[in-house]
Amino acid sequence: MSRIGVFVCQCGNNIASTVDTKKVAEEMSKMPGVVYTCDYKFMCSAPGQENLREIVKAQKLDGVVVSACSPHMHEKTFRKACESAGLNPYKCEISNIREQCSWVHHDKTKKVGTIKSIDLTRMTIERLKKNRPLKNINIPVKKRALVIGGGIAGIQAALDIADGGIEVILVEKEPSIGGNMARLSETFPTMDCSQCILTPKMVEAELHDNITIYTWSEIEKVDGYIGNFTVQIRKKAKYVDEQLCTGCGECIEKCPFKADNEFEMKLNKRKVIYTPFPQAVPNIPVIDAPHCVKIQKDKCGACAIICGPNAIDFKQKDQIITEEVGAIIVATGYQLMPNERFGEYGYGKIKDVISGLQFERLASSSGPTGGEIIRPSDGNVPKSVVFIQCVGSRDEKKGVAYCSKVCCMYTAKHTMLYKHKVHDGQSYVFYMDIRSAGKRYEEFVRRAIEHDGAMYLRGRVSRVYERNGKIVVQGADTLSGNQVEIEADMVVLATAILARDGADTLAQRLGIGYDKHKFYNEYHPKLRPVETVTGGIYLAGTCAGPMDIPDSVSMGGATASKVLGLFSSDEMSREPITAIVNRAICNACWDCLNACPYSAIEKESENDRHGNILRWLAKVNDGLCQGCGICVAACRSKCIDLQGYTDEQVYAAINAF
Amino acid sequence: MIRGSWFDSRFTINDSRNTNNDMEKALRQKAEELLEKGDVKVVLGYGWNRGKTRTTPVFITKPEDVEKLVFNPLCVNNLSLYLTRQYKDIQALGKPAIVAKGCDIRTIAVLIAEGQIERDNIVIIGMTCNGVVYKQELWKGKLSDDIMPTKCHNCDVRNPHLADYIIGDAVDFMPPEEPSGMVFDKIKELDTMEQDKRWEFWMEHFARCVKCYACSKICPLCYCERCIAEKNMPQWIETSAHPRGNLAWNLIRAMHLAGRCTFCGECERACPTDIPLNLINQKLAKEINDAFGYRAGYDEKEHPPLIVFNPDDQEDFIK
Repeated sequence: MSRIGVFVCQCGNNIASTVDTKKVAEEMSKMPGVVYTCDYKFMCSAPGQENLREIVKAQKLDGVVVSACSPHMHEKTFRKACESAGLNPYKCEISNIREQCSWVHHDKTKKVGTIKSIDLTRMTIERLKKNRPLKNINIPVKKRALVIGGGIAGIQAALDIADGGIEVILVEKEPSIGGNMARLSETFPTMDCSQCILTPKMVEAELHDNITIYTWSEIEKVDGYIGNFTVQIRKKAKYVDEQLCTGCGECIEKCPFKADNEFEMKLNKRKVIYTPFPQAVPNIPVIDAPHCVKIQKDKCGACAIICGPNAIDFKQKDQIITEEVGAIIVATGYQLMPNERFGEYGYGKIKDVISGLQFERLASSSGPTGGEIIRPSDGNVPKSVVFIQCVGSRDEKKGVAYCSKVCCMYTAKHTMLYKHKVHDGQSYVFYMDIRSAGKRYEEFVRRAIEHDGAMYLRGRVSRVYERNGKIVVQGADTLSGNQVEIEADMVVLATAILARDGADTLAQRLGIGYDKHKFYNEYHPKLRPVETVTGGIYLAGTCAGPMDIPDSVSMGGATASKVLGLFSSDEMSREPITAIVNRAICNACWDCLNACPYSAIEKESENDRHGNILRWLAKVNDGLCQGCGICVAACRSKCIDLQGYTDEQVYAAINAF
Repeated sequence: MIRGSWFDSRFTINDSRNTNNDMEKALRQKAEELLEKGDVKVVLGYGWNRGKTRTTPVFITKPEDVEKLVFNPLCVNNLSLYLTRQYKDIQALGKPAIVAKGCDIRTIAVLIAEGQIERDNIVIIGMTCNGVVYKQELWKGKLSDDIMPTKCHNCDVRNPHLADYIIGDAVDFMPPEEPSGMVFDKIKELDTMEQDKRWEFWMEHFARCVKCYACSKICPLCYCERCIAEKNMPQWIETSAHPRGNLAWNLIRAMHLAGRCTFCGECERACPTDIPLNLINQKLAKEINDAFGYRAGYDEKEHPPLIVFNPDDQEDFIK
């Protein structure tokens, strides 16, 4: 016979107002196997826990039921208390009589609440009788981290982890780290130069002993589980030997061919051998193979002739590098919605209709115009510029339903940059709402309007077209109720932030979730915002949704703290709530394997001593198993069970009802 | 011997029963060849019972025994049952060749998809088929629609798929677009019934269940080493012949076959109390086809969909 103790919590008045806790305790004392019951004002308080510990010892309890709030709140608290009193923590169960009982019943006579509490507690007692003592699972942890994406979020995460003494591998798709932040001219609300604050971090990452940077590389394959990932990285051929190259840049000068410059948002041309921008990290050029005449047609080769250290190698091939890491941080960033989708704004047809990022490049002192704001069509200084906000954002029909969050702020910044460079220019902003929540953000927008004279018009633009060399913008000003027509020299579209192309493919490779916009899903949007449902994989920056630089940086730092916490011991301890296979009767039909959303089921063979396979068996990988129980439901012969929630326990609970 | 003579006297045997002489000859030749070359160690096929009134499974291990193999419309058994792991003595004989009609091969395909057999470890001798007859007393040497079961009316695998060797001439037969026949007509009728009437219909049938588990024993896809019916901690299915246990058993059996059943019809044939198991199996097969566009037994590489996790699965039913 078991020796179970039942502790009924009053939770101040939270439970006691609709549940007669004394009655519950009294009824429970009549249950077979229950040797001690009591009710108490606050079980979770220090004296409450101390009391529990003492009674466990004094009564020699072999099981504890705490009838209190949701196990989400204090299961850990009471299990810890039991453990310190010498009881297996998994012999302590919580019966939820607050969220699932007292809070939903308003009967002040306490009749209904008491009856239900008695039922709930009785079910838990019967369930507890079938509990087996469980031990936490220890998984060895490989103390290295992988950061996917070398934008500001990824760099911050890598630096913070590396500073904690952990080796980091930073993988970047482009030839240089820096990401979209490297493209920005100034940053709101302080108006400091983006590159001036970013490049020191890039250099720090490059020089850090604990950071290995793979640029021009992509993730090919991810296997394994928390603490033990094996990652294959495809290092694309740069056609330049990184060991020999000194970064002198003579090859770039000599290269006679040009292609569209992606870094400058196609505002100008770059050489076919190139670094995306002067402060690139690493400062090693790559050859754009599809446009290289030497690689395509075996002519030219000027770069190889000029190169002093003979670093050019046209025969270089893609390399696959295998790295073993314990944690992965995904910081793949964003892209802008292709403006071509918005024909009514003339993008693609009218040369002087540009995107927000293109305007950043025009305003940037390292940009194609050296910071001079001029029209891409004729090089004249625009005397009036129209900024259109919410192009694609908050537009479920043509674009996306969500708000891209940063456009209100960067448009205000654009009007200021413009005013600072073209003193007699006039800027107009068509907006839906101004969203400037953030420290010093609202003041910033007010400054753009009041100090720098930006004309804000609340309304949508219906049409943009060309007339006598001017761009005519027709729209509504809903505050005055008038239709407005503005003759502008330039139009800037604040296009929506989208998840990167291929974000879904990467998510499938990593086994993490994503929403319908392909932004990655957090474990919990409020309480676990940087974790994913897959243990050991974390999110930083705009791959999780639109956000600004401070948010991205804090998220990068937050992932670092998670990784350092995970790596703080050699082994990771986790709850043993995992599936377990009865090896004697497994049929190896692989239903569990096909049903598992976490790929936690493996095929295992049983061999004779000559190594011949006798039979196959399903095996649960404790590192990957999340204890969801889908395999248990799928198994036809019921030879797989969930520890802590076995069929027997659930049955016992139902039968007690 | 007495028993044999009793059978002999009850049914007249005439040679017209052997309509497939050419097929039989080719089958015996192929079996002999496979056994002689040592490609296979045993041929699972059909042979006559002593009275030549019906066929029974035979397991040929010696080339000189191939004369025992027959093939005719009385070959109704789904022999793929003997490929499953519960028949360890047959597995111990070595690599098998199996004489299989298209419908049997569908079952084999599911067994391969579920990892119960490896395709390379068996040889499938596919038999073209014009239909089978369940009741030998109706068999007068000529096949006609009225003596064939529903599955044959709707058969689209009369020319076997997945076979290593095909015996017999190609059959020119197109099943009706909309499944028809007794089973499907009854399903339609049940679909139009009121829910409580339908419940009554099934409870009436399940009330006869004696839990002999013949349906499970004969089903090639009920291959579990330990059936859920045998599990007693917890006891999923009450063992006594009580309506609750009967319902649990029949529903669990049907659910375990949802999306997997290939309509070989053996369970209903085996049922001593004539529970219309085909009805419930085919109803579920239709549901799966409607929801997932999947019919079991055509692709040996595709796992039945009901148990497969797919991030693109519909979730609109979650409210």
